[in-house]
Amino acid sequence: AALTPLPPPAGTDPATPLLCRRGAGAAVAAVAGDAGCRLLTVADLFDRVIRHSGRIHSLATALCEKRLPPRDNELGKSARKCHTSGMLTPNGTEYAQKIPREELTHLTLKLLQAWKEPLSHFNQHIEHHQELPDDSLSKAKQISNMVHELKTGVEKVTEKMQSMGIINNSLTGMASSEATGLSISNEANMMSDSDFIHCFRRDSNKVQSYLKILKCRIMPENSC
Amino acid sequence: KYLDFCTSLGQSYPGKPKIIRCRSLEKETFSCWWKPGSDGRLPTNYTLFYSKDSEENFYECPDYRTSGPNSCYFDKNHTNPWTTYNITVMATNEIGSNSSDPQYVDVTSIVQPDAPVNLSLETKTSAGIMYLWAKWSPPPLADVSSNSHVYHYELQLKPEEKEEWETISVGVQTQCKVTMLQAGVKYVVQVRCMLDCGEWSEWSSESHIQIPNGESPPEKPTIIKCRSPEKETFTCWWKPGSDGGHPTNYTFLYSKEGEQQVYECPDYRTAGPNSCYFDKKHTSFWTIYNITVKATNKMGSNVSDPHYVDVTYIVQPDPPVNVTLELKKPINTKPYLVLSWSPPPLADVRSGWLTLEYELRLKPEEGEEWETVFVGQQTQYKMFSLNPGKKYIVQIHCKPDHHGSWSEWSSEKYIQIPTDFRVKDMVVWIIVGVLSSLICLIMSWTMVLKGYRMIAFILPPVPGPKIKGIDTHLLETGKSEELLSALGCHGFPPTSDCEELLIEYLEVEDSEDQQLMPSHDNGHPSKNAKRIPKEKDSDSGRGSCDSPSVLSEKCRESRALPSTLQTQDVRDVQENKEGKRSWETECIASEQKILLFNNESTKETTWPATQLPDNHLFAYHSIVDAHKITLSTTNVNITSFLVGNEEHQSQYPITETLHDDMEKQREMENLHSKTDQTTVQVIKNRPNDKSPFLNPKLMDYVEVHKVRQDKEPAVLLKHKENSRKSDKYTVPGTSKEYTKVSTVVDHNILVLMPDSRIHHTSVIQEPAMEMPQNLQQGQAEKNMSYCLTVPSECKRETSGSEYMDPSSFMPFK
Repeated sequence: AALTPLPPPAGTDPATPLLCRRGAGAAVAAVAGDAGCRLLTVADLFDRVIRHSGRIHSLATALCEKRLPPRDNELGKSARKCHTSGMLTPNGTEYAQKIPREELTHLTLKLLQAWKEPLSHFNQHIEHHQELPDDSLSKAKQISNMVHELKTGVEKVTEKMQSMGIINNSLTGMASSEATGLSISNEANMMSDSDFIHCFRRDSNKVQSYLKILKCRIMPENSC
Repeated sequence: KYLDFCTSLGQSYPGKPKIIRCRSLEKETFSCWWKPGSDGRLPTNYTLFYSKDSEENFYECPDYRTSGPNSCYFDKNHTNPWTTYNITVMATNEIGSNSSDPQYVDVTSIVQPDAPVNLSLETKTSAGIMYLWAKWSPPPLADVSSNSHVYHYELQLKPEEKEEWETISVGVQTQCKVTMLQAGVKYVVQVRCMLDCGEWSEWSSESHIQIPNGESPPEKPTIIKCRSPEKETFTCWWKPGSDGGHPTNYTFLYSKEGEQQVYECPDYRTAGPNSCYFDKKHTSFWTIYNITVKATNKMGSNVSDPHYVDVTYIVQPDPPVNVTLELKKPINTKPYLVLSWSPPPLADVRSGWLTLEYELRLKPEEGEEWETVFVGQQTQYKMFSLNPGKKYIVQIHCKPDHHGSWSEWSSEKYIQIPTDFRVKDMVVWIIVGVLSSLICLIMSWTMVLKGYRMIAFILPPVPGPKIKGIDTHLLETGKSEELLSALGCHGFPPTSDCEELLIEYLEVEDSEDQQLMPSHDNGHPSKNAKRIPKEKDSDSGRGSCDSPSVLSEKCRESRALPSTLQTQDVRDVQENKEGKRSWETECIASEQKILLFNNESTKETTWPATQLPDNHLFAYHSIVDAHKITLSTTNVNITSFLVGNEEHQSQYPITETLHDDMEKQREMENLHSKTDQTTVQVIKNRPNDKSPFLNPKLMDYVEVHKVRQDKEPAVLLKHKENSRKSDKYTVPGTSKEYTKVSTVVDHNILVLMPDSRIHHTSVIQEPAMEMPQNLQQGQAEKNMSYCLTVPSECKRETSGSEYMDPSSFMPFK
């Protein structure tokens, strides 16, 4: 019962901070803002998602340190196991630079997808914990929304790259990964709060690093 | 009775209290304690009184509480180190009171500090010798601000089981190295201190230590830190504990999160002693490493506490390199500092794997506080608003974004901000200003020296109108005849005067030509042949213009001039203006001749020697036209005139337009010779002509003659000065006055009009060269004004004046 996903806040298009609304169609195309949007390059989009992921990571870090101050050797709790640990993700420079772009993109999306529901659940969960300061609560909510936005953003970049032929359209595994994402979110709900935040912080850093690597691999001339 | 009663109850006045001790911890405060006597079975109050040696007053204790029960605390304000305190304690109850023996207290002699604290012991081995290392802290004081006392320490130690202490005097240090210890024995150590010449403090609490006897395993090592300099590899360092007197091996072990397997350090060497280096292959991110270090000797082993590391968060880059400071000096704005640097060489920022953020700090060399600026990801920064004349120190460090820690600061870079750039600019401007003013000075100086010549050069005098009365345009078109006829001047008899005048002018003209030739030869030797004919003709044309003014003046008195003529006059004047410049030298010679037989010398001098081709052409036409007019109006020598004129007419346009051609040139030469002949003829003829004409009008002639005589000196003078050129021209006022013909009386008599206009006087001041022109100008102006009302019958004369064109006399040859 606790698995019911929390819908994104009504009225806010998750992609808005990252991308302009395009769903409105051609009728809005004449609007100045939209016209500017059309000129967005892949590099611009990458910069945005990277910045966004950076913000998410900062929030997670703040939440980590404030709400759950790190006791020395707290890290050492070997009992901790992130629900995304099972995913094979590049854990070093060389690997991250060798892995095909498509796969790296795919992994990034997969990571984000894997956190979407656990985050919603986490929000629901900590709302009942009155001992949590409001600050942490709002941070957690913010993180949840931003992850949603980030995922949409990364999807847009991927679309754009595919349409421009920068990466091929081999991202077929998404559907299946959604299914696995659901299954692993079960695991996530079993984690303690501190483990949850710790794991999320780590994965948000992963996502940011992957995005940076992707950007610099695709556009090495662009401030890399 | 009462006493008995009391005694029976066992109640009595209190027993005598005793002051046990007085003590100062640090010479600034002190406390005294007393021991109560018997209380007499009644509640007893104790009061401490003290007096100072210099005073009789008694005071009560200021503070009973701070030093505990039965004590009095004297704080800083109540403590005087150079005073002896007389202290007594009085015990009081219902029955009576009792006082202690007085205690005399000298603060300096009762100083006794508290015992030192934090005594710590450890054993060390150096060069195979085991020793004990003891450390402690000075006694804490209530008043932290006065914590600057120097204590002397003493340390005592003994094996636990023994009774005798061994005392070691330490000195003022708070640590001590003790050697010659028995291995394998447990020792007890204490330390005490003393302030100056006070008393020793109590011994500190005991500390115990086991001296290793070489049979024990090593101590636990400690992992100090782990660091990744570039987010690709990382290194961990540890600090070994005591080795137990035996060579000890250290083993670095780690396991990764989620794995049970334990690995050993892949590389002990790369990062130096007591370290482990993880290369790229062994470095995983987003994984927690569980690290332990195990020290092992032959007696056993000891394992450090585990250390957990997530490599992502231990990135600490090297400091940025290639820090350069450059001072930019834009032209219009203040100078600013451009700092640029490179990321540390190890960091691969291009892959996007590691993103660095920078922070720089700077301060003036003598300054205390650093100004810190967070730069972000740029590797360049511009600093504005630096204090000029100061030397700045700049440093930069970097850190990975979002995680990790700041690098060390880069090495200090210095930059001297120059005092002010504007000073230089000012100097430049001052130099420029001085130079320009100097130039101005020189200019004005030369101006003063060279005077009017310069003025004349820069501002040439505006030539005045010269002649009026002839409308050459009208003549050109041939309408003058019609005009004249229309004016009814047909019946006007040709006046001998007019003719005479004309002849005279011609003479002047011709003579001029003669004179001109050599002068032009000097000026333009090559163009000689071409020029002369033109000039002669143009001159003659001009000359012809002059006479009408005389005639017109004649006419002035009788009647008003029609407006058309007036405009003609104006035109003439303008034409005259054009040719005035180059005139002077030429006229000089002519004047000489003129003097011989001419009465209108001044006017002749004013004839221009035009060199402008346009004027030439114009002049020719006018000449020809004038001829026609002459023919039509004059009865004298009609046929000869006509023939001559026509010849002339036919020749001139050719020379005019094709003078470049050689054949034409020859023609011109011929022509020239002709004109010369003409001149001669005219000169010859003239006296002949004159005498019959002039005789009847002797009176008039006399008048003119007079005028001429008056002018003679003037003209001569002028000529003389022309040769000198630089001298100023001084014309007698009288001569000048007669430069105008005021009226012609009865068509024969010329009345010269005095001309005392200011304009002329001013002209006189000008260099001689300008003189004639200005005279002309004035003349012409005058003529104009006079001719405002010229009678219709005089029209003839004005038009007749046009006959005076010398070319019209060409036929005479």
